[in-house]
Amino acid sequence: MIQRREFNRMTALAAAAAAAKARAQNAPAAPAASNDGIAWDKAPCRFCGTGCHVRVGVKNGRVVAIEGDQLAEVNKGLLCVKGYHVGLALYGKDRLTQPLLRRNGVLEPISWEEAVETISQKIMAAPEQFAIYGSGQWTIPEGYAANKFIKAGLSSNHIDPNARLCMASAVTGFLSVYGVDEPAGCYDDLDKCDVLILWGNNMAEMHPVLFSRVIDRRTRGERVTLIDIGTRRTRTSEFCDHYLEFRPHSDLAIMNGIAHLLIKKNAFDPKFVEKFCNFRQSPKDPAASPTAPLNGEAMSFDDYKAALEPYTPEHVEKLSGVPAEKIRMLGDLFADKKIRITSTWCMGFNQHSRGTNANRLCHGIHLLSGHFGRPGDAPTSLTGQPSACGTAREVGTMCQFLPGGLQILNEEHRHEAEHIWNVPQGRIHPKIGHHTMLMWERFCTPAEKGGDIRTIWVQVTNPGQTLPNLHRFFKAKAGQPDKFLIVSDVYRTATTELADLVLPSAMWVEKNGMFGNSERRTQQWFRMVRPPGEARDDAWQMIAVARRLHDLGHAGMKDKDGRFLFTFKNDKGEEVPVWEWPRYYDVNVDKALFEEYRLFSRHKHKDLAPYDEYVKARGLRWPVVQQADGSWRETKFRFSEFDDPYVKKGAEIQFYHSVTKDDKALIWFAPAEKAAEEPDAEFPFWLCTGRVLEHWHSGSLTRRIPQLHASMPHSYVEMHPEDAREKGFTNGETITVRTRRGGLRLPVWIDGRGHPPRGSLFIPFFDERLLCNDITLGDIDPVSKQPDYKKCAAAVARA
Amino acid sequence: MSDTLSRRGFFAAFRRPFERRAAPVLPPVIKAEQPAAASAPVAKVAIVQGRFCIALTSFCAACVERCPVSGAMKKERGMPMVVADVCTGCGICHDVCPAPRNAVLMLPRRQPSTPQPA
Repeated sequence: MIQRREFNRMTALAAAAAAAKARAQNAPAAPAASNDGIAWDKAPCRFCGTGCHVRVGVKNGRVVAIEGDQLAEVNKGLLCVKGYHVGLALYGKDRLTQPLLRRNGVLEPISWEEAVETISQKIMAAPEQFAIYGSGQWTIPEGYAANKFIKAGLSSNHIDPNARLCMASAVTGFLSVYGVDEPAGCYDDLDKCDVLILWGNNMAEMHPVLFSRVIDRRTRGERVTLIDIGTRRTRTSEFCDHYLEFRPHSDLAIMNGIAHLLIKKNAFDPKFVEKFCNFRQSPKDPAASPTAPLNGEAMSFDDYKAALEPYTPEHVEKLSGVPAEKIRMLGDLFADKKIRITSTWCMGFNQHSRGTNANRLCHGIHLLSGHFGRPGDAPTSLTGQPSACGTAREVGTMCQFLPGGLQILNEEHRHEAEHIWNVPQGRIHPKIGHHTMLMWERFCTPAEKGGDIRTIWVQVTNPGQTLPNLHRFFKAKAGQPDKFLIVSDVYRTATTELADLVLPSAMWVEKNGMFGNSERRTQQWFRMVRPPGEARDDAWQMIAVARRLHDLGHAGMKDKDGRFLFTFKNDKGEEVPVWEWPRYYDVNVDKALFEEYRLFSRHKHKDLAPYDEYVKARGLRWPVVQQADGSWRETKFRFSEFDDPYVKKGAEIQFYHSVTKDDKALIWFAPAEKAAEEPDAEFPFWLCTGRVLEHWHSGSLTRRIPQLHASMPHSYVEMHPEDAREKGFTNGETITVRTRRGGLRLPVWIDGRGHPPRGSLFIPFFDERLLCNDITLGDIDPVSKQPDYKKCAAAVARA
Repeated sequence: MSDTLSRRGFFAAFRRPFERRAAPVLPPVIKAEQPAAASAPVAKVAIVQGRFCIALTSFCAACVERCPVSGAMKKERGMPMVVADVCTGCGICHDVCPAPRNAVLMLPRRQPSTPQPA
């Protein structure tokens, strides 16, 4: 008989051996045997964009256990507080279990047949006035199905994901610098860098597992310098060697200051710049062509130098409040080629009415100084949603994209998509659709005043809480009987408050799925439990409506050969009517959709491996290229010869999708500008909004998890103690925060989790009872159309 | 693991083997506070059990942040610690702990021994 201790030792050894083997080959380990009746399988976490893998334990048709997956490179067995509880997100008491239609102001249960018929009739009545508002939490196949349905089926481009509120500026940043979206580097940079600069990035709370990866290096005795450049002291700042606090909106001045010093001291990398870079600035006439704002206009190196001339450290200090000596310190760091610098950012840059420029400048200082293309030397954006990269960006569910990085405005790209989709040439509408803000504005505007969107179908997101300036962009829908809002979700949310039709969805491991995380890693999982009641997959909902339209005679639902757009065959070659729910899992629809989508991925060298490779792996980073021996190899560092198979031999670095078609990236100049709404006598405070560790986005999942809810039960406003003293507020007192859009009553937290400087407030947005977006401004970046949630002017008063 | 501390629960915790890797079976929903026992309230003190605390991986500090008694909790190298002499035993740190296994244990406070004459 084996001793207990012996047994433990053996299993530990076996696990370690399996982990080592997997690390060597990226191969799966056999599912852990379990003698307690729990079946284990792998899945990426449902929450943020880090993309940790969890092992999900299922017993009697219920998720009963979660643990960190030791075979996953991203998290190496670790999880954050949200990840540990991710399984409970399925089991809130008020899961939606049947379709609900609003009749006389009340949501009443109806059958799925009625629901599908209702949607189909709405679309048939006015297909061009129908829009889809999707999500970076859509799985890849779901987003692909929705994209194909509307772009190839309805010949409409009115589809946009919530990533417009989240990553749009990063997208335009990457596109206008490298000509192709998504980071060149990956999380491995965090393990290799000597200096990590967090640009308005509270990684300790928002990407804790990644941050622990960095902090862990310190505990092992490695030296890594952390620099937090932000507008508020956060948990991240506590761990940083330097905390540089800047006046909101002046981050562009800081980056220009760094570039100024590099040029002034002749400390930039002339070889790198000459070989691999061109210079750009915003066009004088942005309306000249649709692509002008994105691609800008050329400038010479001398013009670039001249434009940077005013940004002396002293001038930057005046603009940003960051001491000149600290700007010099940053300049010296970038001037030092021996060290490796990684920059990360998330919503600080992106939710910025100059977000595209902020992204461009950050890439710019890395390129100018040559801190690019080595492990640890990279500008890397982090995403907030599990598939913002995978579904919103790569599948191209934005109103200006087609799958695989193809563009609506490019005729060749449209023809290529039409070819893959086997639809007649000209099926895809040549004009880009309404982006998120425009879509909701038009939806909230009466038809006679130009509101050309009548029906919106929302899936996997909660715009009733997360759109900025909610009164204008969401709540104005109320009282307009000709507007019809369809919401597919798992719980009632702020969005279902105004919904006319609510559809119960399956979530996470209740369905097959694929996500794509921040570092280009595509991940896959299988359905492990059944959804509750009549809840069904989002992709099924889309396909069922498409089929109903097909049966009603909508010509767009057929391809060139008269076949339904979503035709799937089983192993025997028989067509499976997947639009009938009981037959949906007769064939792996996810696999079929993914294999079709994969055809798009090669165009921009975002090559994806076959579905079955992802079944085996804990995610693979694209481009995934097949080797001579038939195996599939992922790419960690793009554009660098040592790792990226698409770089020409001897080129060292090659930006093979260069905007200028000469394999060079673009270094942009953009001036520091004032914010749209700055504090004044009437509204003397800056107001910033954001997230907290315990809650994920709008909190519709995490607020139903008892441990997380208990830990962070309601929203609050953070304030500097001196400001509070001046106003006479005590800690915990309810106060009113007012902006030009309205007011909000909530408790004040002095010396709480974050520490805003004087004259600055912070409110988290997770709490649906205290909607901070009632009062945010949401002025948009002119290039990316992403709204700014991080600054507007506010006043405070006793409630 | 019970939400309120009982002597039995406390000792049972020692008997249970500690499984470092084992995923916690999804814990039960935290119940509203139980009605106070008829007997006289026992003075308590909190301790943080490092093995269950997630401060080092999640940068969580909910207990330190929400402790209403100034100086009763502090962070040492990222880990929360209770200063027993200052702790009033209110149990808020226990209630807000979001770790999969609650890391804050409420122990009965030992009566201070009578000072011995020198």
